[in-house]
Amino acid sequence: MTMTESQPASAVADNPPAAPSAAHGLYDWISTTDHKRIGRIWILVSMVLLVAFTVLGTFVGLERAEPATSGFFGGQNSYFQMWTLYRLGMVLLVVMPLFIGLATLVVPMQVGSTNIAFPRAALVAVWSFLLGAGITIVSVLVGGGWGALDGVTGDEADAIALTLVGTGMVIGALLIAAICIATTVVSLRTPGMNLMRVPLFAWSMLVASAVWLLTLPVAIANLILIYVDLRGGPLTFGDPEASGAIYAQIAWLVEQPQIYAFAIPVLGVIGSVVPAYAKTRQADHALMVVMVGVFGFAAIGGWSQPFFFDSTEDVVFVGFGLLAVVPVLGVLGGSLLTLFRGEKPTDRPPAHLHGALAAAVLLFGAVASGALRVIAPFDLAGTSAITGIFNLVVFSAVAAALTGVWFWSPKISGGLVAAEDGRIALLTLLTGATLLGAADVVAGFYAAPDLLLFETGSDVVDPLLIASAAGGFMIAGGMVYALGGFLVSFRSTNPEAGADPWDGHSLEWSISSPPPVANFVEPPARVVSESPLLDSSEPDTDGEDA
Amino acid sequence: MFTPGFKFFFGLAMGLVTAAVVYGYSTGGDHVGPLVWGWKGGIGDHVGYVTLMGLGVVAGLIAIALVMYRDADPAAQAHYAGVDSIAPTTPAAASHWPVVAAFGAATMAVGLVVHSAVFVVGLVLCAIAAIEWTIDAWADRATGDPVANKALRDRVMAPIEIPAAGAIAAGVMVLASSRILLNASANGAVIFAGLLAVVILGIGTLYAAKPKLSKNLIAGLMLVAGVAVIAGGIVAAVDGEREFERHEVHEDGAADDTHADE
Repeated sequence: MTMTESQPASAVADNPPAAPSAAHGLYDWISTTDHKRIGRIWILVSMVLLVAFTVLGTFVGLERAEPATSGFFGGQNSYFQMWTLYRLGMVLLVVMPLFIGLATLVVPMQVGSTNIAFPRAALVAVWSFLLGAGITIVSVLVGGGWGALDGVTGDEADAIALTLVGTGMVIGALLIAAICIATTVVSLRTPGMNLMRVPLFAWSMLVASAVWLLTLPVAIANLILIYVDLRGGPLTFGDPEASGAIYAQIAWLVEQPQIYAFAIPVLGVIGSVVPAYAKTRQADHALMVVMVGVFGFAAIGGWSQPFFFDSTEDVVFVGFGLLAVVPVLGVLGGSLLTLFRGEKPTDRPPAHLHGALAAAVLLFGAVASGALRVIAPFDLAGTSAITGIFNLVVFSAVAAALTGVWFWSPKISGGLVAAEDGRIALLTLLTGATLLGAADVVAGFYAAPDLLLFETGSDVVDPLLIASAAGGFMIAGGMVYALGGFLVSFRSTNPEAGADPWDGHSLEWSISSPPPVANFVEPPARVVSESPLLDSSEPDTDGEDA
Repeated sequence: MFTPGFKFFFGLAMGLVTAAVVYGYSTGGDHVGPLVWGWKGGIGDHVGYVTLMGLGVVAGLIAIALVMYRDADPAAQAHYAGVDSIAPTTPAAASHWPVVAAFGAATMAVGLVVHSAVFVVGLVLCAIAAIEWTIDAWADRATGDPVANKALRDRVMAPIEIPAAGAIAAGVMVLASSRILLNASANGAVIFAGLLAVVILGIGTLYAAKPKLSKNLIAGLMLVAGVAVIAGGIVAAVDGEREFERHEVHEDGAADDTHADE
């Protein structure tokens, strides 16, 4: 269907305006409006935080497995603070910024734009995030956090209030960044690239941004309510019975169905990596686009607030839990079909293919466990299965984000990150995360509670908790290794990376590595399919331009 | 006329709104409640109705955005506007105001908890950043020439920025110096005041004697001196004022001096 009856002779001006000049020095890093620099800041910061939080997760797991002997945190209350910091931090300070960093860097190039939409807003987002993250982490370390199991005292109230405003600032920053990414996909696409032709990663980020924008403001509203309760009147949370209510009001962020919202880009990364490896078009691209949208729909979780009303047996809650399996299976099936149809390279698969498969396995494990979680007879509500599902989703997202870092490393640093480092890091992550997540899900069937800090005395649960802690330890080791490999690569650019070392299909692979300041020296040719680099020499025959 | 993106999302919006209405009636909605968002009559099951209706509204808004941007296709935009070509977007120049805004927001957040004065400082920073950012955004698009745009921006803002920055810098220096003078011993205060005067006069003399001296050198010297004074001021403010001598007045009018600050 043709939207323009007669195409103007020259729709885009021949000489695009001068781009901002390449910048150097500290001032240029803090004032840059180049989306690639902003993306690099996001990625570096979130990778450092990833290492920190996986190490924290290891200590939390060890404390949980051996509470009588380990005593890392010095009491129930400190354990609760670190437990909540790990949960909310992994989502808000690691997974979301990692994907936002990748998207800030890659999406404008994928859609053929010279920059991200609202580049100054993107800059304010990254700096607000850094400051908000700093306030949140420091306030937790000085005794704040999201509640206190033994009742909030007067001294703790200030630190908790700081944690709340820091969390709100982080969420606000992430939302601003999401607006920039979504607007880029909606309004800065190159001619011919309709929404069905948008690369899957960019599309998944549009869906994820929409879901985040729809749901995360609800979390900000929750934080405001808690803040008012904490500061506005008598110390409501001073009563130990009521003090747990702080975390309970925002726990929905890290539980089903909302937790899936942070894994939507996983499907996009898989859909970008697999066709490039197979050197063929994505099988059933249109179906994949729809599947990503369906997964986004199943991940809308702002309505499910167990603190205010128990929705766990609600038909919508059960339906969302079961529905989430369908799109993941659809994307996995499409990817396998693409691998089957494509070329069969005889050399060793690159690190990013390992990562894509690891992310796929973990995400499938997560949604399958989530489907079991919503089936009432299994009685998994309030058990450690919630922790297991959380860890599977989060580390699926981490695996996908690291896959993206390895895959798009020529656009991030100009060179290739060592493949062997990637393989080791991602396979360690897969093994560790499977152990970490599966052990908790299985323990859930034996009624192990979600927040656990005592010897259960069970011959099944206790070994599972030790296995889970061992998984966490493996992950932390793998992440330290991954960060080291990435930083070494970041410092020493490999000149042989070239513009397109993977035979990629989307527009970012038509640009030199590292990309120039305004990305495209010449405006990209009119896009006629979802794989413009595969058909750049073919004429536009379908006429679906607009 | 309508782009595929619009058609998809508009169709999705209509489908979701219809589903919400049907769901509302099938779960106990009455009268026209499901049609008018519950203004008159119930809407049935709130969770399902709000979810479906909310998604429908979002899909509708995306559809409107897509048709506004003509699916981001410059050819379609140009055709719609009746011109040969759409003017390309001018790239945004580097700016430090977003970072100032972020620091302002962080200061406000901390001030919300710690002290209202800190909150006000953050608010002022945010207000300054908002004004500067707005002017920059306007100037970026004033003409097609980035150099002319920069000159235009400076012409508007420099008469405000330079005096304001000077006043703020002078105020901060005076405040920091006063904290040091109040903290130091009587002799120390005299020495500090003398040193400060020598530094100011020295830099002034140096600049007067060698007007072609590197601006970076002068700026570096002033920066070092300024940072030293501000850091000293902060330390002195935290440490507090020295104990001052008090003059006790007796009933007969005679005064005794107590020398507490040695």
